[in-house]
Amino acid sequence: MNAFLLFIGLPIAFVSVRLGVKSSMLSLNSDTLERLNAAVPASLASRRRDALREYGRLDMPNPKEENWKYVTLGFDLDHMTIPATPGDSLPEGDFLAALSDRAGSAVMVDGHLIGVENHSEAWLGSALEAWEAYPPSDLLTPDTDKFAAAAIAFSSDGISLRIPRNRAVEAPLVIDVQSTLPDTVTFPSLDIRAEENSEATVVVLLRSPDGVASVVVPNLQTTVGDGARLSVTTVGIMGNEGVTIMHHRSRIGRDATFRAGEIGLGGRLARIDLRTTLEGAGGSVEVVGLYFGEMEQVLDYRLVVNHVGRSTSSDVFLKGAVEDQAQSVFTGLLRIEEDAVGTSAFETNRNLVLSDGAKANSVPNLEILCNDIICGHGSSVGPLETEPMYYLMSRGLSRERAERVLVRGFFEEAIDRLPLDDLDEPARQAVNRRFAEAQEGGRV
Amino acid sequence: MGLALKVRRLKASVGSVRILNGIDLDVPFGEMHALMGPNGSGKSTLCHVLCGHPDFTAEGEAWVDGREVMGLEADERARQGLVQAFQSPVAVPGVDLAELMREAAEERGIDPEEADRRIAEASRRFDMDPFLERSINDDLSGGEKKRSEIFQISVLSPKAALLDETDSGLDIDMVRKVAAAVGEMRGPGMGVLMITHHSRILNYVEPDRVHVMMGGRIVTSGGPNLAQELERDGYEGLRKRLGIETPSAAAPARPSSDFFTDLPFEV
Repeated sequence: MNAFLLFIGLPIAFVSVRLGVKSSMLSLNSDTLERLNAAVPASLASRRRDALREYGRLDMPNPKEENWKYVTLGFDLDHMTIPATPGDSLPEGDFLAALSDRAGSAVMVDGHLIGVENHSEAWLGSALEAWEAYPPSDLLTPDTDKFAAAAIAFSSDGISLRIPRNRAVEAPLVIDVQSTLPDTVTFPSLDIRAEENSEATVVVLLRSPDGVASVVVPNLQTTVGDGARLSVTTVGIMGNEGVTIMHHRSRIGRDATFRAGEIGLGGRLARIDLRTTLEGAGGSVEVVGLYFGEMEQVLDYRLVVNHVGRSTSSDVFLKGAVEDQAQSVFTGLLRIEEDAVGTSAFETNRNLVLSDGAKANSVPNLEILCNDIICGHGSSVGPLETEPMYYLMSRGLSRERAERVLVRGFFEEAIDRLPLDDLDEPARQAVNRRFAEAQEGGRV
Repeated sequence: MGLALKVRRLKASVGSVRILNGIDLDVPFGEMHALMGPNGSGKSTLCHVLCGHPDFTAEGEAWVDGREVMGLEADERARQGLVQAFQSPVAVPGVDLAELMREAAEERGIDPEEADRRIAEASRRFDMDPFLERSINDDLSGGEKKRSEIFQISVLSPKAALLDETDSGLDIDMVRKVAAAVGEMRGPGMGVLMITHHSRILNYVEPDRVHVMMGGRIVTSGGPNLAQELERDGYEGLRKRLGIETPSAAAPARPSSDFFTDLPFEV
């Protein structure tokens, strides 16, 4: 098998040899799949094989496809390898430090669960271990795109989090996903379920060190049971060469409340493809967050909110900035199905374009198949406004200081609405620091 | 006593439309001058041009405490000691009032504790406590915005304060407070130019001089009795006394009103 691998995967083998970790790198092929399947339940093994067939059938996405417009990937999954063993874990960092009061945490390094700590009534642990007791969600289907197929086929492990019915976990539960090895791809599966009338606050961190060209393809699935209240905030803080291609699927039950927070700061490319379905009557979802692209970053948000149940409500509110050559994409579709009477759906995306070479694409969309609903969307793309600038300067603030104050103020509204207050300060400091650095570098 | 504000031959246009036609004005330290005039005569434009609004092209000179300011950026003029209370201040969502005042103090190198002391003192005077932690001018009534503006003048204590209709939209108690504050500000360190449509506030704080603007010029200046004359006879009466034609008779003197409504502020 190794000889075969070396033969067909010459560029990969070369990289592996250079790193001296040849034996621990696995290509995305059926050998790898069978190796992963060696000790898992038959149902998981067959699900992986189905996904591998899709993986073989699907091409790498390209910018000609509407759902991938504006995005150049710059790599091919077929040429990536999966690390068989994890690298060294990363130091704590500002966001994790702000979450010191937590009910539990699980750490994944390079696709491997390396530690779980849990003081709560929730079940938190390996997705593989949980497989039979808590069968995983199938909200993401392998035919979605090549990354989804790969995520299902090649997920070596993942994290399962279950909040038992009628229980509330007060402090945040933290899932820390780290990618530390260059030229690798990992497929962590993150399955979060809040059972009926339960309550929890979850934070998912996606991080890697600067200078490490790794790709992480998380398959995040959240199920919010009837009457449950769940928030999941993803903090994207990959290093400057990291890539995130995340699918986030969520299903929201009757009278349930789901809040998704998005903090998008890291990565050469960070894509979040979020689809949420309001299935039960009276359910609600709020997607709130901020992003700030620097230098040549591409931050790509594809959001779909699907209203199926009656009297469901949604509110999407994202604010972002781009500087230098950075690019952001927001496409948001509010889809209101025939029977979703009494829906209320809102969508707002505001963008600051801080340099001539930066670009923000904002495309809100509505697809309404039902009368008797309230629906609205707003989108804006532009530089800092001149009248507020003049106002602040007329108080004696230098242009640079006035710009900093306005950028800070711009993000404040989004920070204010983040589901978890603990993250406000690190988010605030991160965007303020980023803008100050852009000023110092003469890029804005 | 020196001049807080001195203006000579100040002309200004926005696009191809001339709004100020040559203003000469002296406001000595320790004095409060009222600037009156019909709508569209250029009073607010004078404030914006003096403060360095980027939409205007200006020629002429202006000095604040003896230092030429017309070549400076808006922020440098403010730090030089020229600050205006806006007639229609813009909302700045996400930036709260106390934060703005602290940033302004820091830019001037004022000690943070001293800044907080000034903020607290001015806040007590103008009942601004409920507004300190709220976004600037966001969801404020007209009167609340005026309070916020005079509060900021009080915190920043400039050498030359331009109050653009700070008294309109205020209830009678607040007009008295503003008048009292202006009376106190009129110390040796400050000169005040107060634009007003109403002589009401002048009952509470007597101006040292009253200037009247028409068609982008100061057409006459005088003592407090000039305000009383205006109250009695109106601008029409003053025009007759000075032998000035009414603008409708001299049609091209003013640009069309449509143009003015497109401006981001009132002129």
